[in-house]
Amino acid sequence: MKQIAIYGKGGIGKSSTASNVAAACADEGYKVTIVGCDPKSDSSITLLRGERIPTVMELMQQGFEISEEDVVFEGYKGVKCVEVGGPEPGIGCAGRGIIVAIKMLQKKSSVMADSDLIIYDVPGDIVCGGFAAPIRKGLVNDTYVLTSGEYMPLYAANNICKGFSRLGNHLNGVICNSRNAENEEAIVKAFAQELGSELLAFIPKDPIVQTCERAGYSVIEKQPDSEIAGVYRKLARSIMDGISSCKPQPLTDARLRELTG
Amino acid sequence: MSPVPLQKEPTIIHPRPSSIVAALYTLRDLDVDVVILHGPPGCSFKHARLLEEDGLRVVTTALDESGFVFGGHDQLVKLLEKVIEKFDPKRIGIVGTCASMIIGEELHEAVLEVNPDVPVIEVEVHAGYPNNTKGVIITLESALSAGILSEEEFQRQKVLLEKATEVEKRHGAASKEYLEPSRGDTKYTVAKRIIELLKAGKKGLNILNAKKETGYMFADINAAVNQVAKELGSTSEIINMANLDENLGLDRVKSHARNINRDLQKMGIEVHEIIGGLDEYPVAGELVNRLIAEKYSDFDFAVITGVPHAIPMDNLQGMEVISVTNGPRQVLPLKEMGHEYVVVEIDLHPKTLGVSSIVESEFGATLRELAREEGT
Ligand code: SF4
Repeated sequence: MKQIAIYGKGGIGKSSTASNVAAACADEGYKVTIVGCDPKSDSSITLLRGERIPTVMELMQQGFEISEEDVVFEGYKGVKCVEVGGPEPGIGCAGRGIIVAIKMLQKKSSVMADSDLIIYDVPGDIVCGGFAAPIRKGLVNDTYVLTSGEYMPLYAANNICKGFSRLGNHLNGVICNSRNAENEEAIVKAFAQELGSELLAFIPKDPIVQTCERAGYSVIEKQPDSEIAGVYRKLARSIMDGISSCKPQPLTDARLRELTG
Repeated sequence: MSPVPLQKEPTIIHPRPSSIVAALYTLRDLDVDVVILHGPPGCSFKHARLLEEDGLRVVTTALDESGFVFGGHDQLVKLLEKVIEKFDPKRIGIVGTCASMIIGEELHEAVLEVNPDVPVIEVEVHAGYPNNTKGVIITLESALSAGILSEEEFQRQKVLLEKATEVEKRHGAASKEYLEPSRGDTKYTVAKRIIELLKAGKKGLNILNAKKETGYMFADINAAVNQVAKELGSTSEIINMANLDENLGLDRVKSHARNINRDLQKMGIEVHEIIGGLDEYPVAGELVNRLIAEKYSDFDFAVITGVPHAIPMDNLQGMEVISVTNGPRQVLPLKEMGHEYVVVEIDLHPKTLGVSSIVESEFGATLRELAREEGT
């Protein structure tokens, strides 16, 4: 079983990447589970035709005794979707929420044990122990970093790699979600190489992604023949066969600035 | 300028007194009626219950897993409203805990929302401070800004607390990485020794240097020494020193001093030297040291109760020192200081909460009984 997590700066496109990879793998016949850890709960929505599912944390907050059926929903081609949920911005502790929800899932649900691929869609940067919980608790064996060629997302990605080295975790590849920055592919490629890793996919900026998302679908489901669907499929395949992993060597800040010009 | 590294202190590996608990006790000393602990239901429960014996009500917002994740603002607002309605308090305290502080709860927001017409002392504290006096200081700071403590008294308390921390680090429970708890010498042995000294007409210093309400029981031991000397017809000169100044400290602490003085007077015991207030145990030792040098350097023995490790050894060197503490972790440091005998009054503190007159101690009782046997 493959258990992966995708880290990266907030808003860089982790959720759309995660859900498209999930859909692509499901197309190939894999049993896939996606665990959305972002309080926004948007990793599963495009696998469920735009439907929002109750989150583990909101049910816990309301004091329910939770069973598998309450929080695990079947989406596109049998992809199992779970949303962890979390507090409103500025209150409470989202990290703790992730820890609690994942523990509960492990105990109450066999879904995770029955999957070929589990994708943890983790929020933003590794800023606290909670966000690192999937790695820490041994729930993740492969990790990916998503970035664009701009300075800030690269900075976040580099920081995340620092977190990985601290946790003794390996990096399995860098994914570039293009923002149409100048020289973008070359920059991210160089970044990946200097980390000791490789650029796994370059996802071009394509309005199709937004259009499908707004309609409540993944690109794989709604526009299976589009060029970008092909990119996601290729990424999905390299994730499934992927064996390359490295102990990432984070760059210095000066070097990062140099890279991005 | 490069930053100056903090001095490395020994890492104390036995659990230390909690700053949250220290805040609770301080609020009690500030005559607060009800304290809300904002955090998990089990936090500080034993002390919270004990303090109820002392007239303080302690309630909790009982944050659970969902509270940690989503925050506990609403719970705090509701409980604050309930506390006002139910207890009609004149003064309220709200005390943070690790849980609420880690998730960044804002105590003040809840107070603003409820807007009570009595003072609320908000204490943003958790248990992660190595010195529990930190909890006291934060509480006093909040009391100061709530206008129920004078600047002058605040400064005075702050100095005392710093001294208290120093004392603990020098010879107290914060002096060693690990201290084996010990019951010390048996009360029988030590009582016998005191009786021998009295029968031999030896001159004795009888010093009470107690911390606040613990004075109610430690004073019983000093009283017993006097009573036993009398009963044995001893010719010993006994000088009583006590930190029982009735004019120093918070109102509550002053009233403890008044109560103990009144009881000692009733027993016909004279305190020859007042060495400070009941909150001055960390500094009273300096005065004791001076007094001995000036007037009592030829004395043969000293009985010290309360916080004996706060009395410097300089001028006690030639005397036989017998000390009584309530901390099982205090035995070793006291022995190392050179005290011949160390007695531990276990469970002393719980027995002195909520009382207003001297409470009988085991060691006092042992002394009296042995003296009676000697008499017959
Ligand atoms: S860890 Fe902190 S909040 Fe929790 S019970 Fe202990 S003192 Fe209270």
